[in-house]
Amino acid sequence: MTSYRNGGFFNPAYHDTETLEIDRRASSKTHHTNPYDNEDPTWWGDRASNDAAIGRVPQGGWQEESWRGRENIPMDAISIRPRSPPRHHGPNHSISGMDPEYNHSRSIPLPSSSGNMTMRWRGIAMRRMSMFPDADHTQTAFTEDAIWNEMQNEQQNLLEELAALSTRDRIKAIRDLPMSFKEKKHIRKELELQSSRKSRQFTCLADCSEKVSLFSRKCGYHVKSAKQTLELWQGAMKSIGGKFGTSVLTYFVFLKWLLMFNIFSFLVNFGFVTIPLLVYKHTPNISQNVNNVPQNVTFRGLEILTGVGYFNYTVMYYGSYSNETLVGYNMQLAYFFTIAVYMVLCGISLIFSMSVNFKNNYVLADSASNSAWQLLCTWDFSVTNEKAVKQRRNNLCVQLKESLSETAQQERLTVSEKLKHYGIHFGCWLLSTSLAFGCAAGVYFVYEYEIETTNIANWSLLDEAKTLLVPFVVSLINLVIPLFYSLFNKFEHYSTHRKQIYALLIRNVFLKMSILSVLCYYWMKKVPDKGSCWESTVGQSLYRLVLFDFLFLMLGSFFGEFLSNVIGTKLIPRMGVPEFDVARNVLELIYSQTLAWIGIYFSPLLPAMQILKFLILFYLKKVSLTHNCQPPRRSGRAAQMQTIFIFLLFFPFFVGALSIVAYTAWSLTPSEDCGPFRRLSNSFSAVDVWIGNLKNVTGSQWVVEIYNNVIRSEIFYFLITLIILVIIYILWQVTNGRKELIRRLRQQIVNEGKDKSFLLERLQDLQKSLPNKNTKQKKQKGSMKQHSDDHSSGDQSNSNAMVQALLARQELEEEERRYSIGGVPVPSEMSNSSPLMQAMLARQLADQENEDQYPMHDENPSSSSALAQAMAARNRVEDEENNQYDVFNRSSAVTQAMQARRRAEDTDDDMGDLPHPVSNVMMQVMQARQQAQEDDRIQWMTAPPQNPGPSGSSALIQAMLARQEAQNEYDDGY
Amino acid sequence: MGNKQTIFTAQQLDAYQDCTYFTRKEILRLFYRYRDLAPQLVPLDYTNHPDVKLPYELIGSMPELKDNPFRQRIAEVFSEDGEGNMTLDDFLDMFSVLSEMAPRDLKAYYAFKIYDFNNDDFICKSDLEKTLNKLTRNELTEDEVRMVCEKVIDEADLDNDGRLSLEDFQHMIVRAPDFLSTFHIRI
Repeated sequence: MTSYRNGGFFNPAYHDTETLEIDRRASSKTHHTNPYDNEDPTWWGDRASNDAAIGRVPQGGWQEESWRGRENIPMDAISIRPRSPPRHHGPNHSISGMDPEYNHSRSIPLPSSSGNMTMRWRGIAMRRMSMFPDADHTQTAFTEDAIWNEMQNEQQNLLEELAALSTRDRIKAIRDLPMSFKEKKHIRKELELQSSRKSRQFTCLADCSEKVSLFSRKCGYHVKSAKQTLELWQGAMKSIGGKFGTSVLTYFVFLKWLLMFNIFSFLVNFGFVTIPLLVYKHTPNISQNVNNVPQNVTFRGLEILTGVGYFNYTVMYYGSYSNETLVGYNMQLAYFFTIAVYMVLCGISLIFSMSVNFKNNYVLADSASNSAWQLLCTWDFSVTNEKAVKQRRNNLCVQLKESLSETAQQERLTVSEKLKHYGIHFGCWLLSTSLAFGCAAGVYFVYEYEIETTNIANWSLLDEAKTLLVPFVVSLINLVIPLFYSLFNKFEHYSTHRKQIYALLIRNVFLKMSILSVLCYYWMKKVPDKGSCWESTVGQSLYRLVLFDFLFLMLGSFFGEFLSNVIGTKLIPRMGVPEFDVARNVLELIYSQTLAWIGIYFSPLLPAMQILKFLILFYLKKVSLTHNCQPPRRSGRAAQMQTIFIFLLFFPFFVGALSIVAYTAWSLTPSEDCGPFRRLSNSFSAVDVWIGNLKNVTGSQWVVEIYNNVIRSEIFYFLITLIILVIIYILWQVTNGRKELIRRLRQQIVNEGKDKSFLLERLQDLQKSLPNKNTKQKKQKGSMKQHSDDHSSGDQSNSNAMVQALLARQELEEEERRYSIGGVPVPSEMSNSSPLMQAMLARQLADQENEDQYPMHDENPSSSSALAQAMAARNRVEDEENNQYDVFNRSSAVTQAMQARRRAEDTDDDMGDLPHPVSNVMMQVMQARQQAQEDDRIQWMTAPPQNPGPSGSSALIQAMLARQEAQNEYDDGY
Repeated sequence: MGNKQTIFTAQQLDAYQDCTYFTRKEILRLFYRYRDLAPQLVPLDYTNHPDVKLPYELIGSMPELKDNPFRQRIAEVFSEDGEGNMTLDDFLDMFSVLSEMAPRDLKAYYAFKIYDFNNDDFICKSDLEKTLNKLTRNELTEDEVRMVCEKVIDEADLDNDGRLSLEDFQHMIVRAPDFLSTFHIRI
């Protein structure tokens, strides 16, 4: 039977009992219960019939007794409590072990754990609710009634809990219930009835508020659906996700996100800077003070590429903006603050989305559970394309095989192989770094050449074409070198795919950063000394870079994807269809966004270009993807990659762009004769001038004060930095503490599992070694049976430890009552949900007695340990039959506990036994525990009814403490 | 096409909106999707709660589910009769849980049910083997299947009981952030 039920588990004893399930259900399965329980009966029934077919083994018979015995409990010991309904659907699983605990938890108010309790109720309520549609007709009428009542109760609890919430939270809570729609609807209806009843009782004020909330809810729904209608590219996203999966979708989501940034930036810049200028100054003029305004500027076509000439006289660049105050609208301030606010908002939104992403995807993420993740979490339910599904299957297969072989492979690596790997890594890094430096140097010299050869005075067409050289070279480098880097992957061997991607990312970022820093160096150092209106010149270079970047992106998807597709399918089938490289493509996006950020100061309408670029790019990439590419073979953890991309976008790219813009605004002298900041020492002094003007205006003195004392004071920034550092330090410490706590709790779970399996194994051993006790027990039970229902013995799961425990306790109480030794207190009901804890306590108590030789304590039935009592009771039965001591003469903890217990309890027997030598660590734990509870014990001796049975909620904590102490003492001892 | 009002009453729509993550528009869209599966079976008037159930064969033929290796399990888990035959309510329920808005815990709960092939509230080895075979189409050898399953249990089983409980599963899901985006069917 055991083998039937437990298949291939490593420890049959552990699974053999219902205790586990009961324990789980009671303790942890709170939020999520099984609304589809109605699927269960088949299985249970199946099992039951199977059990029956095999026939009852002795344990089963014993079990049957325990079921009956169990039914006594509500009658005497806890008779006030409502009859508990069945947990399982099998006809004879009418009472299960968990329910008494549930009842206990209800009967003993535990203030500390009230929150948990309600959650538990809800959990149970849900389960019961789910049983509701098909209440077992095989139940006796009495039980059916009980079930009904119980269910009503629990539903009521759930309803009350929900009713206490606000309307919005309530709806959210209903939605989040793991139930079927029907059940949700039922609950919703009940709640509505309740609230309508309430509102009838109360004033029309409540009615009014109800209506308002209803109305706002409806408005919310409308807003939601309107938002959905406005959602960009929903269908496209769906089809991409359906064909290529989530990891490729990341790229498009990122693209969309950047597009939103640019739309916002464009709106802000256009609205606050460009429109006022266009409205009040119809002819944006590069400079009124400069006389060399060419009158013959016409649109020649090349400007679209170079961005010079005609564009110079439009609002495209910094130079065309006025420094005047247009009808009370200070252009200088508008320009400065628009850009400043935009950059700050970008930074905030980046930090925010970074933190959210990081929290969701990184903090909790654990790289350790790789296989489990691969098997159970990687399947992309959004993939709907047949080909893609097939491919994914193959990929998963390959990945699983790889991960299996990888572990084997890594152990086999010899030193020389390792050295070889390191050598290759070193070589690749060296090569990639020198390539990046070389590229940067190349860009430097090309720029040098351009500046030297261009003659600003006579601007010819050739000169204009020469300006295209730098953007061409830069874009070419950006296109070719990353492809070259990807080739490295062929030689390099990384232990994980993730490391490989990270290496690739770092190299690419390094390349782009070095190129950008060379360009920025030029823009910041060389260009300002050159022409008259240097900001516009920088703006033009940025325009060219953005444009060329776009062109090369298109070329890249043509050559990189289309051509290699053609080659892969037609010419060299060995190469296969190219994969869509998410990382490289995202980096391209990041790079072009960085250009747009740097350009925001020099060319306020650059975001408009960026919007166009991204819009076209989206469709281009989509088409290229569907026609040329296959989904990446190894899907990395897409969500984590997204976090990394956002992080990269923030640092170094956004931070770099921000510092460039800030440096320009604070340190560089704006050109003399064009732009909003002409004739100022730096852009920021526009604010100084404004504040200076404010001094004369009455009523705005406080602004000046704040400006002088806060904004301009170093101490203020110093303090801010200090505070932030302190907060970071505190949070860091808290995080570390929590990590440690998580680690310990995890260890605790593992230990608990081990303890449990150990105990259950012992218990089963005992059961096996005592095959004859069943008949005996039956006999004894027969005398005090109160319910003589006939149980068909076939259906009960064997060795239900919890039930046994309860039965045993019952029995114990009975006998104690019979012997009436002293005032017998009602056993303190432990609402702790873990029989294991009870068992541990039991052992501890037993040990205590074993060592201290205080047999009399044991007459106290309130030792609150179900399992121990079970043992004891069974022991006693055993004794009464055999009257011999040495049945359990083993040196295991459980046996010792039992012996101690038995010895203590047997009033007729003298204490003949000597304590057995403590032979295992478990005993050490118990001893430590006992010592730790020395105080409790003393108290316990003096006032037996107030036993140290821990309240349920703290049982685990106590256990943890005990373990800790045990560990310490164990360490000290040895 | 009928007016919105003739398909559902306002109360019905409200109930649907309150109990699923969908807006009115999406509910109607899903209704039409549902109806398109069997126009002759599904009436255009749902105001009097007609008792219509589409058989699994039709549900499983939806483009969103057609190629999903777990389509049958999904339909079984979300259908009231446990055999994959779905009412409109079940249908909405299914896509609500699989929608983007559903919280992680709810998704994890149903994903657990989907992977729990024998409905014993635990993902045991046989469930994992079934999952693996569904995912890889029996392409792995028996040995490999066994090794993968052992590894999975070894990694995800916190309490060492040799099988994954809902808690183990949820714990794993929390650490696998991709789950939210992959356990998602766009409508």
